[in-house]
Amino acid sequence: MRNRHRTTTPLLAAAAAGVLALAACSGPGEEPSVLEGDTITIGVKFDQPGLGLAENGGFSGFDVDVAHYLAEGMGFEREDVELVGVTSAEREDKIIGGEVDMVVATYSITPERKTEVTFGGPYYVAKQDILVRADEAGIDTVRDLEGHDVCQGEGSNSASRITDGLGIGATVADAPSYSSCIEWLSDERVDAVSTDDLILAGFLAEDPSAYRFVNNPFTDEKYGVGLPHGDVEACEAVNKAINGMYQDGTAGELLEGWFGSTDLELVKSVPQFEGCG
Amino acid sequence: MTTTASTSVRGPSSSSSGDERPRARLRARLRTTPTRLWLLTLAAVVAVGGLAVSAGSTLDRARDGMEVLGHDAGPQAMATTELYLALADMDAQTADVLLMGTDHELGSGREAAEERYAESRARANEALLQAASLTEGDTVEEVNVQAVLDGIGEYERSVGEALLLNDEAGAPPGEVDEDALERYREGSRLMHTDLMPKAFNLGLDSSAIVRANHEDGRDAVALGLVLVGGSGVLAVGVLAGFQLYLRGRFRRRFSAPLIAATAATAVLTVGVVVALNGSGGDQSRAKEEGLDAAMALSRAAAVATDMQADQSRFLLDPEHADHHRQVYLERAQAVLFRPASDLDEYYGQVAEVAESYPDLPGSGERDDGEEDTDPGTLGYLGEVAREALLPAERETLGEVLTAYDALQDADRDMRALDEDGDRSAAIDARMDIAHHEDGAFTGYTDALDRLIDLHGAQFEAGIEGGERSLSVWAWLLPAGTVLVLVLIAAGVRPRLAEYR
Repeated sequence: MRNRHRTTTPLLAAAAAGVLALAACSGPGEEPSVLEGDTITIGVKFDQPGLGLAENGGFSGFDVDVAHYLAEGMGFEREDVELVGVTSAEREDKIIGGEVDMVVATYSITPERKTEVTFGGPYYVAKQDILVRADEAGIDTVRDLEGHDVCQGEGSNSASRITDGLGIGATVADAPSYSSCIEWLSDERVDAVSTDDLILAGFLAEDPSAYRFVNNPFTDEKYGVGLPHGDVEACEAVNKAINGMYQDGTAGELLEGWFGSTDLELVKSVPQFEGCG
Repeated sequence: MTTTASTSVRGPSSSSSGDERPRARLRARLRTTPTRLWLLTLAAVVAVGGLAVSAGSTLDRARDGMEVLGHDAGPQAMATTELYLALADMDAQTADVLLMGTDHELGSGREAAEERYAESRARANEALLQAASLTEGDTVEEVNVQAVLDGIGEYERSVGEALLLNDEAGAPPGEVDEDALERYREGSRLMHTDLMPKAFNLGLDSSAIVRANHEDGRDAVALGLVLVGGSGVLAVGVLAGFQLYLRGRFRRRFSAPLIAATAATAVLTVGVVVALNGSGGDQSRAKEEGLDAAMALSRAAAVATDMQADQSRFLLDPEHADHHRQVYLERAQAVLFRPASDLDEYYGQVAEVAESYPDLPGSGERDDGEEDTDPGTLGYLGEVAREALLPAERETLGEVLTAYDALQDADRDMRALDEDGDRSAAIDARMDIAHHEDGAFTGYTDALDRLIDLHGAQFEAGIEGGERSLSVWAWLLPAGTVLVLVLIAAGVRPRLAEYR
């Protein structure tokens, strides 16, 4: 009798463990969301006037203000937000490596990038456009670039879209950065600079009388908020905050504040989100 | 067994201290067999009751989750997703009517386009009502619903004027009156920069609501499962302990009713855990393979509707033709993405996908050992193609991809005609693509609708299966609990009777 008692106890224990294991196996086990952190580190541009520019020991620009607004909407106090400068090339790596929690840095959403990064937003849809000298008489549409020199920043394919994509016979000049492109334009080494209109507007705002837009937008560049891949919760919080930013008029004020001095046609209604799934 | 138990023989302690006496008396009473029997019975009833309560509340939670996903938020999210499609279609029909000009017989004709417009307008209203109900209490989204409602009115004024001006000018096909074009651009711009983004975001937001509900429910059920498992093990333990006590105390080998009660408790516990796990799996499948896939495909239908309307915009607005051609490519890439810098390259890539499916280009290793820089086949259709699909779904997706390739072929032909300067042939080709019966675009949407229906059926099957495995327990749990309690009583009663 005692023996039988001994054998039933482990059996009972095994059955209990089985039931508990079955019960517990449906629990979730995902990476913690960016939202759960006590602080948030946000990557912004440091060399892009009007968007993200390092000056006086801090950062300033449209992207920087958007970053602060979003962080607040996500539940972070201003003092818990840390901004760090990132270059275009290192944005993915810094998110994947966990060095930054979020990136707001003229970061275009593309299907390729979406395989590595989850995008909130876009918070603005920029369009590719062309900047020429204010006194340039011959260039009024993209087709007038035939036979002219068009500058693009290294690693960009903006100008190639004009030559290859639209089949226009322009010469492409690669400069180390868009700042150099603007210098070249001013020195008359090139006739036009082509990239996102918001980036061009940032340069133009520094010297509104020197250049003008051709105003022939032909692609959509969706500026997204880069987040760790799969962080759906943070992505939905970002989208909610962007919605609020347009509804309470902040987005319109920021766009006017940073780019209002240019003749860029600013869109002040909420963009179409990419989706977090 | 005829004498009273030995513990009761020992009298209360004769200690003289006044306040120790009652405590000692209590201790003595607790040592009597009838008291112990009552206490063990109480413990068993409480443990079984705990199991019943935790199982009942977890089953309720699971049923609620199933109800919300299957009959409330789920279908509403699907309806909201259709708002975007309805808006895209309204602007597409308007563009077609403008392009037709005085020739009302082009394609499936002006009257059919106007009917379709009215249908889409009605569908948009219906979807807005659903969206309003789903987003109730969410002020940010409520404002967006209202903005879309107001915006549709403004859109209709713009394009109504455009059509009127174009009719008054008697514009021939493809030569839209200048003022009419200006009004249409305003309307279409409002639609694309304001209304459609908000509508799309509403759809995404309803997906987010469904996801949050689903995950909250899943977490609550997971916690409930641990409680059910724990209280089941406890109840079985108490009943087994009871059995051991009776065996030692009354020298009986076993009490049949108590063994039955123990077994019934174990069966109840395992049964509830298995049912909850099963219904949780059914619910997740219904959401992921049913609803999520159906919504992704419905977005693929909506974006493609907007994309094919870019063909009409390309033809009716020569000044912005480059832009409309570029935007066509961008929307196409959202539907099915392959790396391509221009349309000509894209046509070839799409043909390759349609041909190689169910294998997808770009998802394998490169032969030459170089690092694979091809991101693969992406976009709405690409993502769905990567998911686990039922055989019927895989076959239908193959048809969708073939139809999509045919649509791109027709696009190439249409643009070639335009480049050759044969505008009227290009306009004919465009209107044939949009033909409501046998156009290339109709072929694509028909195939896509079949696939959406298959995923919709999978959604419903998952919900039904989950509900079925839960519904049994609505009566089985109370009945089982009563049975266990009766068995406990049957096991204890004869023993207690010995002390009467």
